[in-house]
Amino acid sequence: MKILMFTWEFPPLISGGLGMACYGMVKALLSLGIKVDMVLPTREEVYFRLREVSDVDTLPAVFLDPEKQVTFQSKAFQNTSERLEFIGISERPETYFQLAEIRRYAVSLKKEYWETEFVTHEEQDLWQQMTRNLIGEEDLIRKVQEYTLRAERMAKLLDYDMIHAHDWLTYPAGMLARKLSAKPLVAHIHATEFDRAGGPGDERIHKIEHAGMTYADRVIAVSQYTAQMIMSRYRIDTGKINIVHNAFSIPEDAVLSKERIFKGPVILFLGRITLQKGPDYFLDMAQRVLQIHPDARFIMAGTGDMSRKLLRRSASLKLRNRFLFTGFLNRKQVERILRAADIYVLPSVSEPFGISPLEAMAYGITSIISKQSGVAEVVKHAFKIDFWDVDLWVETINHLVEHPEYRAKIGIEGMREVNKIQWEEAAQKIRQIYTSTLAEYIRNY
Amino acid sequence: MLNIVFYFQVHQPYRLRHYNVLDIGRGSPMFDDKLNGDVMRKVAAKCYLPTNKLLLELIKEHKGRFKVAFSITGTAIEQFKLYSPETLDSFKALADTGQVELIGETYYHSLAFLYDSNEFLDQVMMHRDLMQKEFGYYTETFRNTELIYQDRLSDLVFEIPGFKTILTEGVDRVLQWRSPLYAYKNYSKRINLLFKYYQLADDIAFRFSNREWPEYPLTVEKFVNWIDKLTLNESKGRNQFLNLFMDYETFGEHQWASTGIFDFMRHFPGEILKHDHLGFAFPKEASDLSNYQQESISFPEPVSWADAERDLSAWLDNDMQHNAIETLYGLLDRVKERGDDELLKTARLLSTSDHFYYMCAKYFQDGDVHKYFSPYDSPDQAYIYYINALAELEERLLR
Repeated sequence: MKILMFTWEFPPLISGGLGMACYGMVKALLSLGIKVDMVLPTREEVYFRLREVSDVDTLPAVFLDPEKQVTFQSKAFQNTSERLEFIGISERPETYFQLAEIRRYAVSLKKEYWETEFVTHEEQDLWQQMTRNLIGEEDLIRKVQEYTLRAERMAKLLDYDMIHAHDWLTYPAGMLARKLSAKPLVAHIHATEFDRAGGPGDERIHKIEHAGMTYADRVIAVSQYTAQMIMSRYRIDTGKINIVHNAFSIPEDAVLSKERIFKGPVILFLGRITLQKGPDYFLDMAQRVLQIHPDARFIMAGTGDMSRKLLRRSASLKLRNRFLFTGFLNRKQVERILRAADIYVLPSVSEPFGISPLEAMAYGITSIISKQSGVAEVVKHAFKIDFWDVDLWVETINHLVEHPEYRAKIGIEGMREVNKIQWEEAAQKIRQIYTSTLAEYIRNY
Repeated sequence: MLNIVFYFQVHQPYRLRHYNVLDIGRGSPMFDDKLNGDVMRKVAAKCYLPTNKLLLELIKEHKGRFKVAFSITGTAIEQFKLYSPETLDSFKALADTGQVELIGETYYHSLAFLYDSNEFLDQVMMHRDLMQKEFGYYTETFRNTELIYQDRLSDLVFEIPGFKTILTEGVDRVLQWRSPLYAYKNYSKRINLLFKYYQLADDIAFRFSNREWPEYPLTVEKFVNWIDKLTLNESKGRNQFLNLFMDYETFGEHQWASTGIFDFMRHFPGEILKHDHLGFAFPKEASDLSNYQQESISFPEPVSWADAERDLSAWLDNDMQHNAIETLYGLLDRVKERGDDELLKTARLLSTSDHFYYMCAKYFQDGDVHKYFSPYDSPDQAYIYYINALAELEERLLR
C-alpha cells in the first residue's frame, strides 16, 4: 500500500507535537510495509520517498523537476543535515518557504476542477468554503497557499492508493489531491482551532477544518476528547470518525538518568507558551506553592506568544529567582531539562492529545495533566486535574514535594506504563483504517 | 570668578553571559569574559588612551591652571588590569601630575545606598582603599552611582571621615529658582553640594554631534562665549562653579573622534584661560573657594543624572528590575554569613547598576539609549539571564 502524505511538520522541521507524532506514526507504518511519499513545506519543491524504517531519519528527497533532481543527486553532501539544508529544512520553522515565489492563489486555482457538471453541489460548497477562507496576507496563509499549489503537481505526478493529510494546514492540499486523483482521503486531526486559540480563534481556519474533514472519506481523531470536539463543534459524521491515540517511543540514544540542576524540587512546564497550554495557571500554582515551599524551583521551558506577558507577570509576583525561563530549547536541551525535573505539569486549557507528558513520564517524572486532554485517556499513573482547579493543582504539587518517596513511586509506575504505549499499536489501527477505506473505494469505483 | 569643574565618570561593568537555566550548577562562568575584554580594549583604544594623552598634554601646557576630576569604579580598575594595563598606567600618570582629583564612590558602581546601608558603606570604603592603593590618593569628594542623591545619602556619607563634598545633578524640580553655579550645603548643613550644570554639560556629552541641534556644530568659541555670558549675571563678587560632569566615554566613544570632540577639548582650556575671570577648579576646592554663606538645600526624594526623568526610573521602574534587585539584596546577607570571599565577590559584581539598566523597558528616546548600551536583545533577555545567575548564586550557597 502506498500513501501520499501531507504534513506541516516532521523532524527536524518541527515546532510542536505534530512533528513528533508524524515521526512515530510514519516510522511504525513503514515497519508494517506501508510505503509513504511525504510532502513537507520545504523551500525546494521536493517530496520524501520513504520506504525503509531508517528513511525517517535520512529523509531521502526527490525533486519534482527532473533537472534539479540530477543536480541534487550529483551533489556530495557531508551529512544528512547539510543535505536537508540544501532542500530548505532547518530546525527553525521560519525558513520553510521562499515567499517570493508565491503567486496569486485564487486566480490560478479556481473553477476548472471544481465547477464542472460532474461536481455535486455539496462538493462545490466545500470547495468554495475552503478557497474563500484560504485568503489572507499573513505569512502562514500564504505558505499554505503555496503548499496547496504544489500539492496539485504532486497529486498529478505521483502514484498512490490513498491520501493522508494532517491538520488544517494541509487539508486544502489533501482536498485538491483527492479531487484530482479521485483517491480516498484520510484527514487526521491533531488539534482544532478551538484548542489552539483557547476560544473561538480564526473563523477562516474553522471553515477550512470543516471543509477538509467533511470532504474526507475518513477522519482520524487523536483522542476521544477530540472526537467529541469535532462531532459537537464541526458536526462531522460520527460514522467516519476513528480514534487513534498517539504514542511515544523514546529515542534509542536518550539518556534517562537524573542530572540535578537544583538542590530543591523542580517543577517543570515544557511546551509552547501559548494560551492553549495554560502557562498562566502554571504561574498561579508557582506563586502559591512557593509560599509554602520556597526551596522549590519552577521552570518554564519553551517559547510562545505569551512569553513576555508571563515573564512580566512572574516579575510582578516577586517570585525572586524561583521561577525561571529557558527560552527555546533544542532536543538535546529538552533531554537535559527532563533529567533535572521532579514534577511535570501540563495545565492545558484544551489539549487534543499531548505527547509531551508521555515523554516526561518516560523519564520517570511524576506528571500532573489537565483533564481537558487526550493523553489523560491513555495513562493511569498520572494525576489528572481540571485545568481551572488551581487549588487542587497546588495541593497535589505540595503533596508530591513533601513526599519524595511517593513521588518516585508514581514516577516509576508511570515510566513502566508509558514504555508499553508504542506506535506499533497505533500504526496497526491506522493500517486497518487504510484497508477498510480502500475497500469502500474499490467497491464504489 | 567662574570656576569650571570638570568631572569625568570612568566605569565598565562585568557584563553577564547569556546565562541559561541549563548552565546552572555546572560551574559555567557567569560573566562574558570575551565581551568584557573586547569592550574594554575597544573603549581603551577609542577613548581612554587618546583622551588621557590629550589631558596630560593640556595639563603640562597650562602649567597648573588646568585641572580635572575623575571617578573610576573598582570594576573598571579590575578590568584595566585584566585587559588594558596600559590604560591604568596612563591614569596613574595623570594622577601623578597633581592636577587631577580622584572622587570616591561605591567600588561596584552599585545601588547599595537604596537597599543596604552597611553594604553601601563597605563598598565606599573598598573604593577609598583602592584609590589609596592604586594612586596613593585619599578621596575627599563623593559621587554616588549615576549621581543618585537624596538627603539620607548625605547622612551616610557624613559618617565616613574625610568626605566634605558630594556631587549630584542640578535637577530643576529641586533647585527651582536657585542657580546651580553656587556651592550649597546639604539639608543638615554638614556637607557641601555641587550641582551638575546639565544644559552645558549635555551640550558636550549628548548634543555635540547631533546635526538636528540648532547650535550644531559646537565650536570652542561659541561654547566659551556661552560660559562667559553666565558671568554677566549679578554675582556680587561670589565665586561660581560651572560643574561639567559627564561620562568619560563621551570622548571618542559616545562622540566619535570624527565628530571633532578631541579638537574641541584640545582648544577648550586655552580659550577659557584667555579670560581672567574664568578658570578651573577641583570639586574639593569648592568649600574653600566659597566666599559666601552657602545655602542649604533639601532633597527629600532621590534624583539622578539619568534619562529625561532624572530619577531612579532607569534602574528601578518595572517589576523585572524590582524583583531582580530585591532578590539580590535578599541573598547578600546570606552570602556574607557564608564567609566565602569568591561568592561575595560574585554577588557584588551582580550589584553593579548596569544589570538593572539593561532591564529598563521605558519607551521613546531613553529606551534607545538603554538599547545602545545593552549587550542583550531586550530587557526581558537581560532579566532572564540575571535571574538565572541569581539562581546559580543561591545554588552555590547551598553547596
